[in-house]
Amino acid sequence: MLHAVLPIPWWRLLAVGASLALLLALGQALHLRIGRMALVSSLRGTVQLVLVGYFLGALFSVRRFELVAATFLVMLGVAARASVGRLRRPLPGLGWLASAALGAGTALGVVFMTAVVVRPVPWYDPQYVIPFAGMLLGNAMNGSSLAGERFQEDLRSRIAEVEARLSLGLSGPESVHPLLTRALRASMIPTLNSFAVAGVVQLPGMMTGQILSGVAPVVAVEYQILIFFLLMTSTAVSTLLFLLMLRSRYLTASHQLRVDLLR
Amino acid sequence: MTALALECRDVAVGYGSGRAASPVLAGVSFGVSRGGRLVVLGRSGSGKSTLLRLLNRLVEPVAGAVWVEGRPIVDHEPLALRRRVSLVGQAPIVFEGTVRDNLATRPRHVEAPSEDKLARSLEDVGLSPDFLDRVADSLSVGERQRLCLARALVSDPSALLLDEPTSALDPKSLGVVADLVLSLAERRGLSVVAATHQPELVRRLGAPVLLLENGAANASVSAEDVERYLDGR
Repeated sequence: MLHAVLPIPWWRLLAVGASLALLLALGQALHLRIGRMALVSSLRGTVQLVLVGYFLGALFSVRRFELVAATFLVMLGVAARASVGRLRRPLPGLGWLASAALGAGTALGVVFMTAVVVRPVPWYDPQYVIPFAGMLLGNAMNGSSLAGERFQEDLRSRIAEVEARLSLGLSGPESVHPLLTRALRASMIPTLNSFAVAGVVQLPGMMTGQILSGVAPVVAVEYQILIFFLLMTSTAVSTLLFLLMLRSRYLTASHQLRVDLLR
Repeated sequence: MTALALECRDVAVGYGSGRAASPVLAGVSFGVSRGGRLVVLGRSGSGKSTLLRLLNRLVEPVAGAVWVEGRPIVDHEPLALRRRVSLVGQAPIVFEGTVRDNLATRPRHVEAPSEDKLARSLEDVGLSPDFLDRVADSLSVGERQRLCLARALVSDPSALLLDEPTSALDPKSLGVVADLVLSLAERRGLSVVAATHQPELVRRLGAPVLLLENGAANASVSAEDVERYLDGR
């Protein structure tokens, strides 16, 4: 028998802090030096989540397009910064490229969800758009930074291979194509793996959340399938766009590899 | 006056920009006639590779001009130029796949080379056509080096740029490759520029020498100068 989610009173939530105390005690006893790290991360995460909870509550009740758009842009900016920040070889202006790539891929997924599959009313209903956009953006961010990192490292370690192709008269894009493909495939692996074992090893996060809040498992599965397909597509689109933009930074109009940027 | 196949006029190359720029080559001038040969001699880091990469426009000079077949290099379409002025890099890089896949590597718009042509390219470098279906990765270093040379020949270039073609080979194989390069140049009428630091290759090729030291070039070196340089290594 399904029932609505059971609310947790705040004083009972505090009890979960006992698990942290256990971890801290364990760390202390075994000299694991994880206490400070665990404490800071948990406090930071808790404060962040409480603030987000209140913010989303307000956003869902107001339901104004400008606020939804502004929220999305802030999320996009943070995601782009994070994905570029993880690259070991930053280039000027890369943040804008990442914003464009992540924005395009995520927008594609969100539009597909609102216009074709779920069709909330109004179409920008923040209760649907924000969580969806968040999931897509997070995945696209991880995909882009993984792919960008791999592509840069491959370029650096395979200068001779790329120049061997250029020397046979292949264009710049043709010469780096195998590297680009490898980077794209590597970045897709986590998403595809999670799809491959979905529901067998663990229930996906969104599905778990919906089931806990009383949604029938079959409905939760529908949403999970939707999010899987959108995740795959929007991550691939964002990552590919990011790689194409990154590629253009490493090639000149005369089909030369910018070796100077790779030293 | 017939135009030179390859020519550098007071060329300079530098990496980086502004005050951080470090010159790799400065004031380098030389010419190679059609069907002619030149050996670029210098220690590692002297700018030999950069000089070769300049001639197929993988790098741009910061000063001076490079001319190919009587025209400034910038007037040539870079991709077409690289199929006529073929560079074989120092490391014998083979691509994934078979020897055939390697030999058939070409721009999308270029028609696939015939089976005959692939076989001929292999024979030209002393490899049997039976190699066509071998996995390129399984070849020995010497065979890879020959494959790279054959791959550069498929587009019927007019000039061959060889970067340390024998640095990975034992003395016997060095002699074989040197003879191979000479006979190829003869048969195909190729202009050849070979960069090396190996005295033996300089002697075997018997071509005019351009001595590179600290990025500066000396094109009018006598045989004695070269011997002295080689002996003083």
